[in-house]
Amino acid sequence: MSEARLGLWSSMTSKVHSCSGILWPESSFFPLSQWLYDHRLSTKELEEKYGTNILQGLTNMRAAEILARDGPNVLSPPKETPEIIKFLKQMIGGFSSLLWAGAVLCFIAYLIEFSKDKSASLDNLYLGGVLIVVVILTGMFAYYQEAKSTNIIASFTKMIPRNALVIRNGEKYEIPAEHLVLGDIVEIKGGDQIPADIRILTSQGCKVDNSSLTGESEPQFRSCEVTHENPLESKNIGFYSTTCLEGTATGMVINTGDRTVIGRIASLASSVGHEKTPIAIEIEHFVHIVAGVAVSIGIVFFIIAICMKYRVLDAVIFLIGIILANVPEGLVAAVTVSLSLTAKRMAKKNCLVKNLEAVETLGSTSIICSDKTGTLTQNRMTVAHLWFDNEIYQADTSENQKDQIFDQSSATWTSLSKIVMLCNRAEFKSGQESVPIMKKIVMGDASEAALLKFSEVVMGDVIERRKKNRKVVEIPFNSVNKFQLSIHETDDPNDKRFLLVMKGAPERILEKCSTIMINGQEQPLDESSVKAFQDAYMELGGLGERVLGFCHLYLPEDEFPDNYSFDVESMNFPTSDLCFVGLISLIDPPRSTVPDAVIKCRSAGIKVIMVTGDHPITAKAIARSVGIISANSETVEDIAKRLKIPVEKVNKREAKAAVVSGMELKEMSPEQLDELLANHTEIVFARTSPQQKLVIVEGCQRQNAIVAVTGDGVNDSPALKKADIGIAMGCAGSDAAKIAADMVLLDDNFSSIVTGIEEGRLIFDNLKKIIAFTLTKNIAELIPFLIFIIAGVPLPIGTIAILFIDLGTDIIPSIALAYEKAESDIMNRKPRHKKKDRLVNHQLALYSYLQIGILQSVGGFFAYFTVYTVQGFKPDLLLYLRPLWENDSLNDLEDSYGQEWTKYQRQYLEWTGYTAYFVAVMVQQIADVIIRKTRINSVFQQGLFRNKYIWVGIASQIIIAVILSSGFGSIPVLNFTTLRIQYWFVAVPYAIVIWLYDEFRKLLVRHYPGSWWDKTMYY
Amino acid sequence: MTKDEKKPLEQTLGEWKRFIYNPGSGEILGRTAESWGLILLFYLAFYGFLAALFTFTMWVMLQTLSDETPKYRDQISSPGLTIVPKPPGALEFSLNISKPATYENYIDAIKEFLREYEGKKQEHLLQCRNGTFFEQDNIFPKKTCKFSLETLGPCSGLNDVNFGYPDGNPCIFVKMNRIIGLRPQGEPRIVCAVKEGTEVNLATFPKDGRLDLMYFPYYGKKLHNSQCLKSGSFLQESATTIKEPGELSTARSCSPGPVSELQPRSVNRM
Repeated sequence: MSEARLGLWSSMTSKVHSCSGILWPESSFFPLSQWLYDHRLSTKELEEKYGTNILQGLTNMRAAEILARDGPNVLSPPKETPEIIKFLKQMIGGFSSLLWAGAVLCFIAYLIEFSKDKSASLDNLYLGGVLIVVVILTGMFAYYQEAKSTNIIASFTKMIPRNALVIRNGEKYEIPAEHLVLGDIVEIKGGDQIPADIRILTSQGCKVDNSSLTGESEPQFRSCEVTHENPLESKNIGFYSTTCLEGTATGMVINTGDRTVIGRIASLASSVGHEKTPIAIEIEHFVHIVAGVAVSIGIVFFIIAICMKYRVLDAVIFLIGIILANVPEGLVAAVTVSLSLTAKRMAKKNCLVKNLEAVETLGSTSIICSDKTGTLTQNRMTVAHLWFDNEIYQADTSENQKDQIFDQSSATWTSLSKIVMLCNRAEFKSGQESVPIMKKIVMGDASEAALLKFSEVVMGDVIERRKKNRKVVEIPFNSVNKFQLSIHETDDPNDKRFLLVMKGAPERILEKCSTIMINGQEQPLDESSVKAFQDAYMELGGLGERVLGFCHLYLPEDEFPDNYSFDVESMNFPTSDLCFVGLISLIDPPRSTVPDAVIKCRSAGIKVIMVTGDHPITAKAIARSVGIISANSETVEDIAKRLKIPVEKVNKREAKAAVVSGMELKEMSPEQLDELLANHTEIVFARTSPQQKLVIVEGCQRQNAIVAVTGDGVNDSPALKKADIGIAMGCAGSDAAKIAADMVLLDDNFSSIVTGIEEGRLIFDNLKKIIAFTLTKNIAELIPFLIFIIAGVPLPIGTIAILFIDLGTDIIPSIALAYEKAESDIMNRKPRHKKKDRLVNHQLALYSYLQIGILQSVGGFFAYFTVYTVQGFKPDLLLYLRPLWENDSLNDLEDSYGQEWTKYQRQYLEWTGYTAYFVAVMVQQIADVIIRKTRINSVFQQGLFRNKYIWVGIASQIIIAVILSSGFGSIPVLNFTTLRIQYWFVAVPYAIVIWLYDEFRKLLVRHYPGSWWDKTMYY
Repeated sequence: MTKDEKKPLEQTLGEWKRFIYNPGSGEILGRTAESWGLILLFYLAFYGFLAALFTFTMWVMLQTLSDETPKYRDQISSPGLTIVPKPPGALEFSLNISKPATYENYIDAIKEFLREYEGKKQEHLLQCRNGTFFEQDNIFPKKTCKFSLETLGPCSGLNDVNFGYPDGNPCIFVKMNRIIGLRPQGEPRIVCAVKEGTEVNLATFPKDGRLDLMYFPYYGKKLHNSQCLKSGSFLQESATTIKEPGELSTARSCSPGPVSELQPRSVNRM
């Protein structure tokens, strides 16, 4: 079923046909069997079909029956993965697989030893147990992290229960919308969300906003006539989840719940596959490297062991031991914690990450497909420009509009401001005295609200002024007149004239005028002033702004005395030969932080693509103002206009920018889309339906890009899911979008994405450091075992001590590296290449394994030999001493000085050796964590003390080691002994050498970029 | 993000071949010969440096040590005991009188153990004064005291070459480990007691399992009779033998006098 739908989906996305600019899916996509004819049926037929009555509605009984049959009218939430599956998933993915394999090997090794000798050492059993505990604990931690962020989202999406006004048994009831059933007669009014798919029966000026379906935010009329044979185009159908903006209507419910149009689209999201996250791919790659190294070293030493005439069974145990020594036990925990720390930091910056791995995905993003409204813009109409006295003035469109700097001295402005203030029906909701003007809630449409706030800011206390200029009569705006008019008394007690003010579509206003006000003086409207008007109108329109014209007329006192009775019906007042005063243009302005964020994206090599349902001109204007289309780049159309040649003749390569409408996109083949995406760096998709987003995302992914997509509507969810990282809007977003997304933007602000990207890039760098730090000591833990096999020395470090390094001393320092600041401006480099910039590259592996790792091992062995030597066993004696050393019945083993040692005494010395080696590794890991602070800069450039957590980590290393070595570790099994103070410092020279050597490496890397050294040593 | 398509085997093989040796760029395993040379050179230098560093630190560390005595003896503050012959299991002997094969190995081990103490080998050694420490801090070279096998009585092997094994009265030797500078206080002796049951006759030699003070202290291999071999003839260690007459015996244990470290041992006879 879902596959079939998917197939239809792809055919649908490429074949959408349009009508009046709105893009609807091909009708064949929807199984329209049920209501294919509903929009064409007469009310009589509808009543018959649904067994209802348009006046009386359903009976309560009938409604209950249908409710029982069809279920409630809600979108069934996407199938949630059962919690237990989510939990198990945390435990088998990525690194965890490595640990599971390790645990199984431990048990196998133990079984082999046990079958050979019943008193076999339990070390392997402990190790296996610890590995399993580590996997389960980190799994639980990751699960808890995700559950927490999911909860935050859940609290955001808590829906206010919606009610619907329904007629049943001939009476009106207010019932919860989910109880609606087929055949119900519902009433809707402005402000309501349409509670189900309905066939309109009656309508009084009903307008709906279908943007959640189409992305088109222009209000559309709804009436009861069939206007199109496609039900999706017909104006007599209202769709579930769209909003009624104004007017009232009654309708019959023809689809409920998942059977509604939006329900069908929402269910598609679950059939769009989710790609593996980039970090998951990187971790897989890392596991391959570690496993490869482990198995190859293991096999080499297996062969060596066989050649040295070890028994095969012993050799197998060595093989397993070597593989186990390569498992970085603590890394899973460190990486999980680091990712969740970053996720927490991002949440503070308004990026709520649902899936920990998405933290890094954001950092590797190379293309962002962003919505316009609300994300790039403030999502509210604002006065952008004014035109009066033949001049265009710019208004402040920032979030608080504090700085209105245009010239307010002209008398024309006085008149204009009066019209703006008076010819306006919008009002502030009461009880908001303390709220800043911009945040006040306004009753009225978006343009009126913008003008109200504008005049409140510029003139102050509009309501009081309106009271002084009492309104006598008014004609509200309607789409036939395209103007709004009101007549007021003036606030000048000496002036008994009435003032007629009017605003509306500029060309309609101009028609009604015979004069124009320039510098406060009325002048006849001659050709030159009309030309000036046209130019200004064109210019403002070209900026994608909504332009309104304003005019007024003082009614002569003798014709319209005090007691004149104005009548709206008969229009007994003049509506022509008015005086044109000015133009005001409105726009939904970009958020003030967005242009900087876009510049940041550009310098970070991230392509920002705008995808909007708006008109191309508006889209392009906003794109220009936020820098998505940069100031000096041109579209093909711009070039054509500049060179005055037809569009077809323009060399498309010359145009950096492109504005593509949904209709053009629909005509494009995938190859053409690829070409478009590849050849233009600045692209705006306008008039696109949310469905087309999926096409765009797929196109970007074909370019090998990592794509972030923003979305809020239910319809966006397929694209959100398809994208490498889907970003849902926290405020405006629908539940479905939030569920499909990987990340939720709490403030809907584009610039939050950019801060998120910064964090994501930082964590990638820091993960490198963490892994390099962790891998280093793996070698220091492995080499003793290899030397033990080859040179037959007493074992330098035991399994338990190794576990205490991996899961004890090293955990906090490695997590502390996640707090490391960036070394240089990470937003100045290109997004990482998926295939080339690996998390763990061979430079990192070689430098950690073969250089610092070996250095640490040597330091460890120095400590080990020292402890043995001071007790009487000189290094030369230790070589190949193992058969005697480990002989249980040999109680008089002679040391280099002729003293004799019992088995137990030797055992205790061996534990002292473990402790010394452990402490040596710990000391050198302190140097290691310091050098890992930076990869290229000197540690001193980075600031030795800037990251306090590193020092917390170092303190934890020392404290844990002291605790273990001071008695707590001497409990059975742990086998730590107390070390003389001076042996804590044996490895210090080696630690210093590590530090100096790494500074030397970084120095050469910095000074000889691109050299052999740089290529080999920079990880 | 297109899915990786399965590459045909030939192509994969070809890629591998090109990886191993790329004739175009002359790369072997993804690097040019020059690059490999540099890498080899680098690691040679790096490991050379490491070896030098290790050698140097080891040398410095060894400089701080004396050749004669180890720096610390805290881990062997109390000397261990060794028993001869070594039982095959943990610490249990079992033997059958009627089957010589079960104890022949023991007899051989004892003979081997006592060979060092034969009169001929001790001819040049000093006859020391019983009952006092043989202090020779300022004497070079250090002397070694004679150990007379006679003190071991029936276990000396002088009379009974089979050490009582065929008679069911096996000799077991307990030796105290050498520790440099150890000076036991009082009269050190090894006390043997029966662990389970009572009907065991237990005799120890020399009398009361005493360890004569003249064998202490030990000055270390370098100064002290370096010509002597392992369980040396200088007899710091005292060989105490246990004689067990009687057919019926149960496990018995022997606990040393001044030495507390020895774990319980038992002798089991079938």
